[in-house]
Amino acid sequence: MITVGMDLGTQRVKAVVLKDGAVASRGQALSSFDPTKAAEQAVEEALKAAGLKLSDVSYFAATGSAMDMAPYANGTVSMMGADAKAGVYLFPKARTIVDVGAEEARAVKCNEKGIMVDFVVNERCAAGAGAFIEAMARALEVKLEDLGQLALKAERASPINASCVIFGESDVVSLIHRQESKPEIARAVFDAMADRISSMVHRLGVNPDVVLVGGVAKDVGFIDSLNRKLGLTVSIPQYPDYAGALGAALTAASRAKGAQK
Amino acid sequence: MMNEPVEKRYMPEVSRKEIDELKTTMKAASQKVMAENIERMKKADPKRPEAMKYFDEISNLFGKRQEEIAAEKAKGKKVIGYMCLFAPTELILAADAIPVRVNSGWYDTSKLGDRVVPVEVCPVIRSTIGAKMIELSPFMEQSDALISVLTCDGMTKLGEILSDYKTIWGMNVPRIKDSTQSLRFWNDEIKQMKNQIETFTGNKITRNKLKEAIELSHRATKAFRRLQELRKGSPVIMGRDAMLVNQTFLWDDKLRWTQKTEALCDELEKRAQRKDWVCSPDTPRVMITGTPMFWPDNWKLPTLVEESNPQGIIVADEQCSGERILNDPVGVDEWSMDDMLNAIGERYLMASTCPCFTSKDGNEDRINWLLNKVKDWKVQGVVYYVVRGCMLYAMEYTRVKKALDKINVPVYYLDTEYTREDVGQMKTRVEAFLEMLTARVDM
Amino acid sequence: MDWGIVGDILRLTALGGLGVAGVIAVLIWKKNRSTRVTFLRFVIQATALAAIFYVLSYTVSPASGGLPPIMFLYVMVAVFAMTIVLGRVFCGWLCPFGFIMDLESQIRRAAKIRYRIVPDKFNVALHKSRYVILLVFLLLPVVLWFSDPRPIMVSPLMAQLLAGHYRPYSVLLDPLIPFIVPWKGQVIVDQVNLTYPYALSIITYAGTNIGQILAIAFVGTTLAGAFAVRRVWCRFCPTGASLAVVNRFKGFKWAPILHISKDEEKCTKCGVCKRVCPVQVNEVYEQKSGKIITSQCMVCARCVEMCPYEDVLMVKLGSKTLFKSRNWLEPSRNE
Repeated sequence: MITVGMDLGTQRVKAVVLKDGAVASRGQALSSFDPTKAAEQAVEEALKAAGLKLSDVSYFAATGSAMDMAPYANGTVSMMGADAKAGVYLFPKARTIVDVGAEEARAVKCNEKGIMVDFVVNERCAAGAGAFIEAMARALEVKLEDLGQLALKAERASPINASCVIFGESDVVSLIHRQESKPEIARAVFDAMADRISSMVHRLGVNPDVVLVGGVAKDVGFIDSLNRKLGLTVSIPQYPDYAGALGAALTAASRAKGAQK
Repeated sequence: MMNEPVEKRYMPEVSRKEIDELKTTMKAASQKVMAENIERMKKADPKRPEAMKYFDEISNLFGKRQEEIAAEKAKGKKVIGYMCLFAPTELILAADAIPVRVNSGWYDTSKLGDRVVPVEVCPVIRSTIGAKMIELSPFMEQSDALISVLTCDGMTKLGEILSDYKTIWGMNVPRIKDSTQSLRFWNDEIKQMKNQIETFTGNKITRNKLKEAIELSHRATKAFRRLQELRKGSPVIMGRDAMLVNQTFLWDDKLRWTQKTEALCDELEKRAQRKDWVCSPDTPRVMITGTPMFWPDNWKLPTLVEESNPQGIIVADEQCSGERILNDPVGVDEWSMDDMLNAIGERYLMASTCPCFTSKDGNEDRINWLLNKVKDWKVQGVVYYVVRGCMLYAMEYTRVKKALDKINVPVYYLDTEYTREDVGQMKTRVEAFLEMLTARVDM
Repeated sequence: MDWGIVGDILRLTALGGLGVAGVIAVLIWKKNRSTRVTFLRFVIQATALAAIFYVLSYTVSPASGGLPPIMFLYVMVAVFAMTIVLGRVFCGWLCPFGFIMDLESQIRRAAKIRYRIVPDKFNVALHKSRYVILLVFLLLPVVLWFSDPRPIMVSPLMAQLLAGHYRPYSVLLDPLIPFIVPWKGQVIVDQVNLTYPYALSIITYAGTNIGQILAIAFVGTTLAGAFAVRRVWCRFCPTGASLAVVNRFKGFKWAPILHISKDEEKCTKCGVCKRVCPVQVNEVYEQKSGKIITSQCMVCARCVEMCPYEDVLMVKLGSKTLFKSRNWLEPSRNE
C-alpha cells in the first residue's frame, strides 16, 4: 500500500511517500505564494523518485499551517498529531517530540502508540522559532548555515533578551556595537531560543527521551544549546524537516488500513 | 462613592464628529458580526429549535431590547448597569429598576481603549472603555448608574475611569471569602447598596418586592438548570446556542427570558426523546473555562470548536459570562428582610468561583466546580481560555491543570486577544486539541 | 380539686396544640419542597410530646405519689444508648423543650421577624460552658454527701440521686417535661398547674420563695430568648452536653451511625447550610467532605433540605443514605 504525506509549512512544502510502512522517497518545494502548486511539485518530485504515479497512491494526508489548501488530500491531520506519529515511528522510545519550524515551535507529549496526549505551542511570537535565527544571522551578517558552527566556537554566551525578534535584533546590534565576539553572540542567540523551547518542554513534564524535528533541528548550534538547557541529549532523525510529512503519511497509512477493514 | 466630575480625569476629549463616525462604522461592523455569528449557528444545526429565534432577536445589541429599555426609561424607570456578576440584581429588580450588564465584547473598541490605558491591560476593560468613548453600547448609554464591583484589578480601575461619565457605586469584595468577617463586611455592602438603590430610584425595596424579585430569579435559575440538565446527555443543542441563551439573560427581561427558556427546554426535551442529536453522540465533549466571553465578537472560540474538523461540542462552561450567571440560587431560609439580604449576600460572595478569591485552601471552589462539571457533564477536554492581560485566570491555570491531570482529562491553555487576526492560529490549536480528544476516544 | 377533670382538660389542650402544630406543618409542606424534612420533624416532635405527656400524666398521678425513681434511670439509659447509635437525634427530633422553641421560631417566621445570631465565638464558648454546668450537676450529690452537716438526711442513695430533693441526675431529664402537666406544678395560674423544664429544679435548689421568682424569670427569659434566637436553650443545655459527650471521645468516632455527610466536589461552599442551622453549627460548612464530626449537630437535617445542589449533603445511617440534598429549585419529573 502506498500513501503520501504532505506538510505544507510556512516556508517549504515537504512530501513523503510511504510504501508498506517504509519511507520510499521524499520531495520538497518552496511554499512561495501558492502552497497548492508547491505541494503538487513536491508530491510529483517524491513520486518520481520512487518511480510511482499519482494513481498508485491509496491515501493522501496533509498537515502544516496551509493544510486546507493541499491538493489531492483525502484527509488532514494536525501538525502536533503528525509530529507524535513520526517521532515514535523514528524513535520508538520517544515520548516528547519537539518540532521547531520556521515560524512556530511545538512540543508534543505522546504515548507508545504515537498518539499525542498533550501539546504546547509557542506564544504567537517568532522568538522561539527558526525565523528568529534567520533574523539574527542577518544582523550578524553571517550565513544561516554557518551560524551554528560559529556558536560552537564560543566559550560563553553574551546576555541577550529574546522577548521578540525585533527586540532581539536590536539587542544583537548593540552587542555588535559593544564589540562582543560574534561566536558569543551567536551562542547567545541559540541559548535564548533554547530557553524558550526548554520551558515549553518543562511545561509538558520532563521526559528523558526527547526527539527534535523540524527545519531548525538541522542547526548544530541550536542542538548544542538545547542539550545544555535540557540537560540531556536529544535524538535527531536523519531528515528532521520531513517529520511532519512522515507523520502525515503514517496517519494516511493507518487510515487507509482502517478503511480497508 | 464617586460623583460625576466636572472635568474628565481619565478619558480624552473626543470630538463629536469622531465619535459619530467611529460609532457608525463600528456599529455597522458589529451588526455584520452578529448576523454572521447567528448565520453560522443556524448552519451548524439545520434543525435548530424554533425557540432560538427569540434569542437571536434579543441578542441584537442594537435591536429590540434596547428600544424596550428606552421606552421603560421614558416612563420613568431607572436603568442600573453593572460590570461584574457580583452586583445584586435582585435588589435592582426589587426597586423597579432594570439591571443590565455593560461589559463590552467588541474587538474594535479595544483599540480605542488603548488611548486611555496601556495595551497590557485586559482587553475586556480596554474594549469597555473604548465602547464608552464612542457611545457604542446602548445599554451602557442607557444606564443611569453603574455598579462597579472591585474584583480583579481591571474592574477596580474600570469603575474609576468610567466615573468620568457616570455615577459609579463601588462595591468592595473581600478577597478571602470563607471568613465570618468577610461575610459580615460583604453583607454590609449589600445593605449599603440597597439604601443607595432606594435613594436613587426613589422606590423603597419592600419585603414583598424583594421576595418577588428573589422568586423571579429562582424561576430563572430553575429554567437555566433545566437547560443544563439537557446538555448532560447526548447533544440536543449546540454549545453556542446554549451560551447565547445564557448570556442574553444579562440584558433581557428576566421573566420573559425565563418563559422563553422554558419553551426552549420543552422543545429540546422532545428532541431528546426523538434521539435527534445535533451531532454524533461521540463528538468530543468540551468545556470552556477562563476569561468571560462577551457577545458578539468573542464567539470566535466557540465557533472554532464547533466548526472545527474534527468537530467538538461545548457542553459546559465555567465563566462569569456563562453558567455562573445563573447557577446559584438565593438560599432564603426565612422570608424576613434581614434573612433575604443575608441570603443575597451569601449567594453573590460565597458561591462565586471568581479567581479573584482565595481562601484557606486557595480558590478550591473553582477546582471543585470544574471537577464536578467534568464528571457530571462527561467532559472529555477542557479549553482554558485566557485573553492577554487577564492575570487572575492565567495564574490559576497551573492549579487547574494539575487537578484535571489527576483525573486524566486534558486541558488546553488557549491565549488570545481581542482581535480577529489570530483565528488561523487558534484554529490550528483547537483542531490539534480536538484531534487529540478524538484519538483518546478511539484509544 | 378534681384531678380527673383538670387532667382531661389539659389532655384536650395538648391535643389542640398538636392540631396547631399539624396545621403549621401542612402550611410549610405546601409552600415548597425545601421544608419537607421540617414538616416531618414537626410531626415527630408533636407525637413525641403527646407520648411523653400521656406517659407522665398517667404514671405521675397524685394518688400514686409520683413516678418511681427507677423509671428516670430507664429513660436516661434509653436516651443515652440512642445517642450513641443515632447521635443527638433526641435533641432534634424528640425533645419537648426543643419543640417549644421550634414552635416559637415558626411563629416568628410567620410574623416575618428576624432572628438574632449569637456570635460564633460566644456560641463556641457556650457550647464549652455546657460541660461545666454538666460537671457541677454531676458533682453536686458528692459535694452534698460529704458536706457537714448534711443538709438533709440522705436515704436511700438511689432515690436521692435520681428523684429526691437533690436530684442532679434527673435534671438531665428536665427538657422532657412538657409545658403543662396535670400534677402538682410550680406555677399555678387559675388553679392550673404549669410546669416548665428546669422550673422545679430551680425551686428545689433555691427554696420556694426565691425559687418561684427565679423560675418565672427563667421561663420568661427562655421563652423570650427562643423567640429571638433559634433554639436558644440548646446552646446551654446540660442534657445536650451530656449527650454530646458520648460522641466526643475518640473511641466513639464510629458513632453515631446516623450522621450528616458531605460530598466536597459538588459543594460550591455557598454557605446556606451554615446560615440555616438552628444551633449555628459551622462544621457542615467548614469540614471538607465525608462524615461531619461535631458534637453540636442534632441531625435536624435543615441544612440538607436547604442545600440547593444535588447530592452534596446527605443524612446517612451507616453507609445507607436516608435523605440527600436535591436542588430544591428543580421541578421533579412528575410535577
